Amino acid sequence: MSASVLPLFRRAIAESWRSTLGWTLGVAAALLLYLPLFPSIGGAGSQMGQLIANLPPQLVNALGYNDITSGAGYTESTFFGLLGFVLIVMAATSWSTAAIAGDEENGTLDLTLAHAVSRQQLVLERTLAVVVRLAWLALVSAVLVLALNSSARLDLTAGDVLDVTAAYLGLGLVSATLGLAVGALTGRRMYATAAAAGVAVLGYVLNAIGNQSPDLERLRDVSPYGWAFHHTPLATGADWGGLALLYGFSAVFVAIAVVALRKRDIGG
Amino acid sequence: MRQSAAVELSGVSKQYGNATALDGIDLTVEAGSVFGMIGPNGAGKTTTMRLLLDIIRPTAGSIRVLGIDPMNGGAELRRRIGYLPGELRLEGRVTGRSLLEHYARISGPVGPGAIDALAERLGVQLDRAVRTLSKGNKQKLGLVQAFMHRPPLLVLDEPTSGLDPLVQREFLAMVREAREAGQTVFLSSHVLSEIQQVADAVAIVRSGRIVTVSSVEGLRETAVRRVRVGFADTTPEAVGARLAGIRNLSDLAVTGTATGTGTEVRATVSGDIDPFVKAIASFAIVDLAIEEPDLEESVLKLYGVGGES
Repeated sequence: MSASVLPLFRRAIAESWRSTLGWTLGVAAALLLYLPLFPSIGGAGSQMGQLIANLPPQLVNALGYNDITSGAGYTESTFFGLLGFVLIVMAATSWSTAAIAGDEENGTLDLTLAHAVSRQQLVLERTLAVVVRLAWLALVSAVLVLALNSSARLDLTAGDVLDVTAAYLGLGLVSATLGLAVGALTGRRMYATAAAAGVAVLGYVLNAIGNQSPDLERLRDVSPYGWAFHHTPLATGADWGGLALLYGFSAVFVAIAVVALRKRDIGG
Repeated sequence: MRQSAAVELSGVSKQYGNATALDGIDLTVEAGSVFGMIGPNGAGKTTTMRLLLDIIRPTAGSIRVLGIDPMNGGAELRRRIGYLPGELRLEGRVTGRSLLEHYARISGPVGPGAIDALAERLGVQLDRAVRTLSKGNKQKLGLVQAFMHRPPLLVLDEPTSGLDPLVQREFLAMVREAREAGQTVFLSSHVLSEIQQVADAVAIVRSGRIVTVSSVEGLRETAVRRVRVGFADTTPEAVGARLAGIRNLSDLAVTGTATGTGTEVRATVSGDIDPFVKAIASFAIVDLAIEEPDLEESVLKLYGVGGES
């Protein structure tokens, strides 16, 4: 019972299986609801296509619906860039803010850190637990997209699905790791939540504005959302620069979380 | 082999912004002893204990726990400490057993059967979800996780809070056994009476400072007791004359009639009770009441500190 591998990681996973199941069902429901509708509403001559053509172009650009008539464009703008994005950001926010700040506000972090665990170990194991759960959601998304690919006539390649999934996961990780870092810095769940959800919202807004005109295009280069989806990985393959930014910033935020928690007093 | 002090604090201060939680504390807890820290909420007991576990860091001063600075000792030092937080929070849908097994994985090795033996002793069910347990039962789980790996040092913040008197007695027995096994126990309480039976020494704390450190016996010597004695077949004059020479007597009131019926003495005895008892023993006594001294109040009066709590 004494020696065991990654005890905090294992406990975090075991404790959160209910919420993991909940988010998994959410992601599955979104995909099962949207993707099968593509043949009837998403095609070039479809009603949806005509509806979009009649919308103000600014709105279409803001929503990223420019390419909704292709399978890749449809999947990206309805799921990965919209509902799936909201789901993974919400899951990332809730898990990451519970991991440190929530535990500290509950008064339960105290006793864990009074045992034979270092603060660095605590941050890293709990970060790993968040990453694994988000990766699970991304994996479920990829598997379901591929499963629906032919029946929904999406015409996607497995490689492109993998590329967009990597971007999708990276976007979730930016929110999650920022939530962990701010939780480690402040110990306050509210601040951590504001940061994790805030960076996602801000990124989405910057991207939407950047979509409006070539003059504003540069805004998409400073938006995590833009790093993930600007170059439509589902249609054109991996955007390595964008992925490097998403995963690079995530790594930096984890490092900040480790240093921050090691330095400060734990509230109680 | 053993260092003589299990815990050593010198000049330790802790500030939170402008608020001073600890103000230059010096404290030594001898290895193998039971040491109590007594004071009201906010006196600095919890702050002191959290410093020992490196949950918080001192603003000034130096700390040695089992010979090591907690900031350098890291996880390996904490493996050798059993800690019960003052405001124990246990949450989750998991059972008590599952929670304790988790804590066992992140502390020292726990002997087979140790968890069950302790749980049975304290009378807590391990198969119920932690969050459904009463405060007292959560406290018992907290005690089990502190004791279960038989650490050289136990740091217990208000261990008796929420426990009913029978369980309190069992807990005190566990503390005695720990001392007999060579473990050091550093515990706190807001009242001395809860731990005075087991503590070898106590520190009385107020507002982040230590008022005094003393053995419980030492405190007894400074204690103030109120006494009342009823006599038969003697006059107030005779009793008064007999008691006149006793110096640690105050508030002396002798009542009764010159014929020797209903003679009664009320007085306050400071410290040693022996001269007073010897003096009254030469009379026939029909009634005697010596109240249990409030040692803590006595100390505070002696040092001129307000006894608010």
